[in-house]
Amino acid sequence: MKAAPFAYDACDSTTQALALLQPRAGDADDALLLPCSGTQSLGPMLNLRLSRPARLVDLSRIPALNAVTRQGGRLRIGAAVTHARIEDGDAAGVPDVTRGLLPQVAAHIAYRAVRNRGTVGGSLAHGDPAGDWVSVMTLLDAQLLIAGPSGERRVASSGFYAGPYTTALQAGEILAAVEVPVFSDRARWAYRKLCRKPGELADAIAGLWFDPALGVARAVLGAPDGMPHTVSGEAAVQALRDPVAVGLQLDALHITDPVQRGWHQAMLRRAWLDIDTASP
Amino acid sequence: MKPNDLPLHGVGAALQRKEDERFLHGRGQYVADIRLPGLLDVAFVRSPLAHGRLGAITKPAGFEDAVYTMDDLVGVRPIRAVSGLPGFKPSDQWPLARGKVRQVGETIAMCVAASRALAEDLAEQVQVEIEALPAVVDMLAARGLAPAALVHDDWGDNVFLHTHVRGDLAAIKASAPIQVRRHIRTARQSMAPMEGRGVVCQWDSRLDQLVMHTAAQMPHINRAGLSECLGIDQGRIRVIAPDVGGGFGYKGILLPEEICLAWLAMKLQRPVRWIEDRGEQLTANANCREHDYDITLYAESDGRLLAVDCDATVDSGAYSSYPFSACLEAAQVGSILPGPYKMAAYDCRTWSVATNKPPILPYRGVARTGVCFAIELMMDAVARAAGITPQAVRLANLVQPQEMPYDNITGKHFDSGDYPQALNRAVEALDLPKWRARQAAGNEPHIRIGVGHSIYCEQAAHGTSIYHGWGIPMVPGYEACHARLTPDGVLELRIGAHSHGQGMETTLAQVANSVLGIDEQRVRLVHGDTAMSPYSTGTWGSRCAVMSGGAVAAACQALLERVQAIAAALLNAPAATLRAVDGGLTDPASGRRVTLAEVAHAWYRQPQRMPADVHPAGLEVTAGYKAQRDTGTFSYAAHACAVAVDTELGTVQILDYVICEDGGVLLNPLIADGQVLGGLAQGIGSALYEEMPFDADGQPLAPTLADYLLPGATEVPMARLDHMETPSPYTAFGQKGIGEGGAIAPPAAIVNAINDALAALGVEITECPASPRRILQALQRARAARAGLAQAAVSA
Amino acid sequence: MTPITLHVNGRTLRADSEDRTSLADHLREQLGLTGTHIGCEHGVCGACTVQLDGAPVRACITLAAACQGRALRTVEGFADDPLMAQLRAAFSAEHALQCGYCTPGMLITAHDIATRLPQADEELIRLELAGNLCRCTGYRGIVRAIQRVLAERLSLPTR
Repeated sequence: MKAAPFAYDACDSTTQALALLQPRAGDADDALLLPCSGTQSLGPMLNLRLSRPARLVDLSRIPALNAVTRQGGRLRIGAAVTHARIEDGDAAGVPDVTRGLLPQVAAHIAYRAVRNRGTVGGSLAHGDPAGDWVSVMTLLDAQLLIAGPSGERRVASSGFYAGPYTTALQAGEILAAVEVPVFSDRARWAYRKLCRKPGELADAIAGLWFDPALGVARAVLGAPDGMPHTVSGEAAVQALRDPVAVGLQLDALHITDPVQRGWHQAMLRRAWLDIDTASP
Repeated sequence: MKPNDLPLHGVGAALQRKEDERFLHGRGQYVADIRLPGLLDVAFVRSPLAHGRLGAITKPAGFEDAVYTMDDLVGVRPIRAVSGLPGFKPSDQWPLARGKVRQVGETIAMCVAASRALAEDLAEQVQVEIEALPAVVDMLAARGLAPAALVHDDWGDNVFLHTHVRGDLAAIKASAPIQVRRHIRTARQSMAPMEGRGVVCQWDSRLDQLVMHTAAQMPHINRAGLSECLGIDQGRIRVIAPDVGGGFGYKGILLPEEICLAWLAMKLQRPVRWIEDRGEQLTANANCREHDYDITLYAESDGRLLAVDCDATVDSGAYSSYPFSACLEAAQVGSILPGPYKMAAYDCRTWSVATNKPPILPYRGVARTGVCFAIELMMDAVARAAGITPQAVRLANLVQPQEMPYDNITGKHFDSGDYPQALNRAVEALDLPKWRARQAAGNEPHIRIGVGHSIYCEQAAHGTSIYHGWGIPMVPGYEACHARLTPDGVLELRIGAHSHGQGMETTLAQVANSVLGIDEQRVRLVHGDTAMSPYSTGTWGSRCAVMSGGAVAAACQALLERVQAIAAALLNAPAATLRAVDGGLTDPASGRRVTLAEVAHAWYRQPQRMPADVHPAGLEVTAGYKAQRDTGTFSYAAHACAVAVDTELGTVQILDYVICEDGGVLLNPLIADGQVLGGLAQGIGSALYEEMPFDADGQPLAPTLADYLLPGATEVPMARLDHMETPSPYTAFGQKGIGEGGAIAPPAAIVNAINDALAALGVEITECPASPRRILQALQRARAARAGLAQAAVSA
Repeated sequence: MTPITLHVNGRTLRADSEDRTSLADHLREQLGLTGTHIGCEHGVCGACTVQLDGAPVRACITLAAACQGRALRTVEGFADDPLMAQLRAAFSAEHALQCGYCTPGMLITAHDIATRLPQADEELIRLELAGNLCRCTGYRGIVRAIQRVLAERLSLPTR
């Protein structure tokens, strides 16, 4: 399975990338111009000829997109930062500000060889509802920084996805970074995903996040059909200890398959167990 | 045997493999690694529909001479693999589709370009008109007398072959105290070796010969098939199997793609290449294991079997593949369903059904995996009905060691073995009391522990007397080996079978060591090349340890006599007294010794020293071999396992897995264990993970490895192996074929364990893979049934 | 066609490939390094695993052009690597290969495990191997070979 033909451009600045993503003379009217970084999600789609860009613009070497900076109560992670760097944490220049959540999630994405190339921005821009970062950033209500011809704009996770593989990115824009909150030392979290085998995309995801110092109580139900679903507010989240309440959430999401419902219930139940039995 | 008891050389040594060296350095040469000047790549246009009438094929403008359809392949004949069994209906499989397409992925046109990517670009531009026809997907529905659609229009039905092994069960049916009936299914699978198929083909004008490199298990058979389809004599065809990345039966076939590439190489007078990609491999070739059993066991109240009665159906796909034919698997069910058990009566009807799916091929274990699954689940059901343990019901019915050799109810001649001992050892090694205690304790919510067993015997290396009755394009006869010493004393062995992972470069060198005393490092195996090796039906059916091993032993024995005669002249000692050991021949009387290298040097370089009566053919012999009795060896094994079923998720974790296997004398225990463990992983795949579903239109639904789940390192437990060694009385060293066994028993053992775990909840799984969805749905049905009963009890 | 310069196994190699060409195809077809095998082209089976700047990556879903100027190591490039020599010896001793097709990718992943996770237990070794499929061995030999090498390296006297 070999990809359909396309042109490839590398670049080393955001400005250059944005310029390369503008149509040029000679491009067909419907030419698809795609940013890429690790091509770990895009690669299989190219090889299967499910994605047929006219041009790929490689963002992976842009220094600004590889930078990780702490700005007050937030950590800004460049879009081209690999899953492996997040997994390795401090040793790879990505401080762990989420009391282990981000490194643990990263460590269970696909396989190490894929993590060495795949990027957090690439996953988020790809928008597979079964992907871990999509669920986790939604749980954290992370801010997505988008760079475009008219400058940088900021979109909350809750507003970033219109549906599977459908993001707020317009043609000619790139995801520049994601900003996650810095947890207080009173934060507690749980993240459970159900996979048939390690490295597979999840059949069901459940995430919980409490941070009293930040006034946060959030839950996420993720994968595989629709975009992740969040519940926020202490009372509403605690109500999800009751399978009946969870069932109502699943009803609202039109998840009717009893097996799928059972998996979501199971992941949430186990997430509660993790939260309740975790050491402070 | 403990490792310390093993010999260091020869048969029985756990020698590290000679072939490892090149593979560990990335210097293997698989078909995709072959580079020829001017090589062109081929991509196929394949049918997107499972069933349809082929209309116009429009080649892209300007590239008409780079695209070929069947109309261009003038004089090329279709693949037609017939069986001699009465009533068999033959099929014509055109190398490029003609008239109809009968499976998703069927080849329609071939496109040639400078690279595979460019060839695929071309293939996308070929327009094909297909008038869709209803797809035949459900083999039970298709089996009927008035099916909605016909795969082959001139057949009248969709049945390649119906067989009936007849028995008289009337009295037993009327009186048997225990009668247990189940509907048991195994899913369609893809064999999925890590390397797919591939062909590199060129015409050698100097030799006036087609030279085809192909990832194949049976080069001589491919050669015969190519000759029949291309209409050129076999002398003008050379087939070479290079390093082959796994076979398991997948590469034991004449491919339409091989015929196309051969024709193209002759047409273009340039080398051409087609390498199967994983998408093609999964979607166009998911071609094994789909069985359906409507089976009833009749027994006494104490669990002793009286009879087995069965309707067995095998989904055989659209065409009869060459050489095994479409009916081999289903017909085999009829003859092996009784397994290792005794019974008074047996009646079995089988159907090989044609469907709009890829043609069936025999996958490791062939029908045995489905048969073992069916009969072993039934034995557990009989045990429950009789109120005895699964172990006890088997012990009551297994052929006993003192009855060996034993001719069973279908005429299978079991050569040797102690089946009850294998079962007992496996169960004991599992430590049943430990698992029963954990099961009873039930400490973990949502987790149910279960234990299960299965036992089978595996016919291997059966030959002429068995195969001629099938009437398929291949009947194994004598297995040949050509052996010669080079002028400097290296032994070259030429055989027609071929290794695709079994380590024959090592095991056959060990055989040579046992006969000739030559160090394994001074033995070279030449195999897989029709120009260089004697005829063989190839590597399949676990036959090589027996047949190639026997042939090598025979050739080395004949060579030994030649060597002894020359050494006798050199040492001035009687030939018969000379002992071959440590690379030379020793005269025990004088202690004097001459090496094989010296003997070879004398023959080739100093013929003046030869005795007058020296054999004129010198140090080059060809020998043929058949087992003393060619009805096959019967290796066997008992598998026992403990599982944990998560009733919330439907997942199954294998906690412990034990195998007690008996392969007779093992040529190389390290390699034999590797075969068993590799088979186990595939068996676990069949049991829990692997399935190629098809929708109602015949579309395969698991087209990538993200959908078709192969067991990885986290799915296969560290199994424990126990060995017994009951030699076969019929083979050169007492060895038996064991390559397939590991893949036969796991689905039965694992599903029996799942059923043991869930029996208290009223669940009985009769289908594999026992996926989480199937388990959860069975639990849900059982809950609903209990609720219904409770409701009825309340209202009563 | 784009000229691509890669530093492969210590040598600088230049060859042209189309932009769409995967690293795996570029290595195999343009550079003649056929030790890296293709098993799926969707990043799952691991047969194509090579080292890019010292870390394992999938050559089948990485573009050759994206590796411009980078340092690569394929299975052919470990002739003088002591860890790889240990792994090869262990693979042979533990019968960790049969057909050999998955072996190059397995070795590169094993090299990464031994380097990055020197104290990995059996469970972690198996998890790290999840991205390398083998259809022949059932993984026991591969796991044991890696365990053997980890144990050998842990028992080395520290300076």
